[in-house]
Amino acid sequence: MPHLGSAINTYQTTGSLLICLLLVSAAALAVCIPFQAKQPGKRPERAAYFLMSVISALLAAGSILVIWFHWEIYQHVVLRLPENLAREINRWLAAAANRSSYTLPLYDPAAPPRYILPFWLENEKYLFWFLAYAGMALFAWRRLNEPIFRILLQVLLVIQTAVLCLVCNPFQQPLPGFLQEIGPWFSPLAPMSRLGVFMQLYPRLTFYYNAHYMWTHPPLLFLAYAGLTVFFAGCVAMLWTGKRACETMAYAHAKVSYIFLTLGMLLGYPWALQAWGPNWWWDPKVASSLMMWIVFSTYLHARLYLSRRWMWGFVGGLGILCFCAMLFTFTASFFFPGEHTGH
Amino acid sequence: MKRYNSDFILILVTVVIMFFISMLCIGGMFYFKWAELQNVVPAIKIAYQEQMNGLLAPFLLALLLTLGLCIPRRLFPQHRLYAFIILLGLTGLGAALVWGWREALLWMLIISAALQTVVLILAVSGRRLKFLCEGYWNRVGSSSVHLGLVLFCLDFFLLDRWNVHLVIFWISAVCIFIGTVITFYAEDMMDKLRDRKESQKFMDRC
Repeated sequence: MPHLGSAINTYQTTGSLLICLLLVSAAALAVCIPFQAKQPGKRPERAAYFLMSVISALLAAGSILVIWFHWEIYQHVVLRLPENLAREINRWLAAAANRSSYTLPLYDPAAPPRYILPFWLENEKYLFWFLAYAGMALFAWRRLNEPIFRILLQVLLVIQTAVLCLVCNPFQQPLPGFLQEIGPWFSPLAPMSRLGVFMQLYPRLTFYYNAHYMWTHPPLLFLAYAGLTVFFAGCVAMLWTGKRACETMAYAHAKVSYIFLTLGMLLGYPWALQAWGPNWWWDPKVASSLMMWIVFSTYLHARLYLSRRWMWGFVGGLGILCFCAMLFTFTASFFFPGEHTGH
Repeated sequence: MKRYNSDFILILVTVVIMFFISMLCIGGMFYFKWAELQNVVPAIKIAYQEQMNGLLAPFLLALLLTLGLCIPRRLFPQHRLYAFIILLGLTGLGAALVWGWREALLWMLIISAALQTVVLILAVSGRRLKFLCEGYWNRVGSSSVHLGLVLFCLDFFLLDRWNVHLVIFWISAVCIFIGTVITFYAEDMMDKLRDRKESQKFMDRC
């Protein structure tokens, strides 16, 4: 990958700087929390709001850096084949097209395949998810002046920033899985070996990296996860304070998250059929997503009777359970085998 | 207000059924891992899917029955409701005993889809049906979501018929999405629009 080398260096250097700034800002925000808890007043709150805005801006800057890096990949990683191999591959692809309902497009020598990578691959997804959360948390922070709710939003943002910086830093080793996958393409290969590597890369490029659904299914789910986190803060605050305003705020985020979640899950269905065929149903990730959606639906149904005795606590508890189900569903990809494993 | 009216009991029953489905999903996940089904031949995977579908079927039937209770509640008076549900339950049970759970589920899904379509048409036409949430848009949205969910389940029986299957899937997806958006936001938006119009009229008068 001769052309990508300098882009990777710039990406890593700038990214490290952003991560350092993020860590410092998160630490400062963490310091604000006990002050806010002890003396709820304007000054610590103003400082906390400023730091939350700084973290959001840094996360947005990180996302811009990711977009730039993907643009570099688009420009420099091209699966170009010599003319004789292109003819050969098109003969294979045309033969395969007669046997299957979903087929790979023919190789076009005038426009060889390029990677149009979405911005939520590998560790980059945490950046997108936490940026979405930071934006929603800032918005919710402004709309509801309730100390416990605001503190919870801050604690969750500090935790997410710490996770991003210390556990899943996207800038430390940029897209390791992807770069390892395309590595063989850049090594000197015999013509038939190059054809073999092409046939390994091309289906992944078509059905995974460049798939239209990649631009809808994952980001909608991450937006739902971000909204669910604010919803969780609202539910804890509602149980803590017993105030209707906290419940209303939680419900407002539950509605948005439910729409994102439902749409995201629905759009994953035709994509899974296209990419994996019919044998993915009851895959652990699918089962856990279904479970999360059902818990969420249960919350929405139970909330219709919020004014009844015991229902306040039950509904709040269900909201917290939704968040736990979301964490379980997300982490399930790492512990349970299946088509989604590690994505 | 009665302490436990039929709506409340219906919601509680729905919650309990959903709890069992959630438990089934978690059980399926652990079984998948324990039995190491990831890298097995497709036939074994299909057998596992069939097994899970079979376990889910009674709960889905129960959920459809509660939905079945919900739908005629909107159409029929209370005294006819119980007769209708007993009839629906008995035909479902009969189909399960004669043909099996799969066919019973298919039967219930077709009946539910037909009923829900009628409810949606009546809700859109503005008929005063009995809903838990009042308001025209709430009624339309709720009917659309429930029709979408029934169609989504029905779609699983059409996996072999590729073209029809995808068409039904997209219809169900549109019904669910639009229904959810309408249920959550349309009433508020209409209220705001109404308020704006009224304040505009007030300003004009002044």
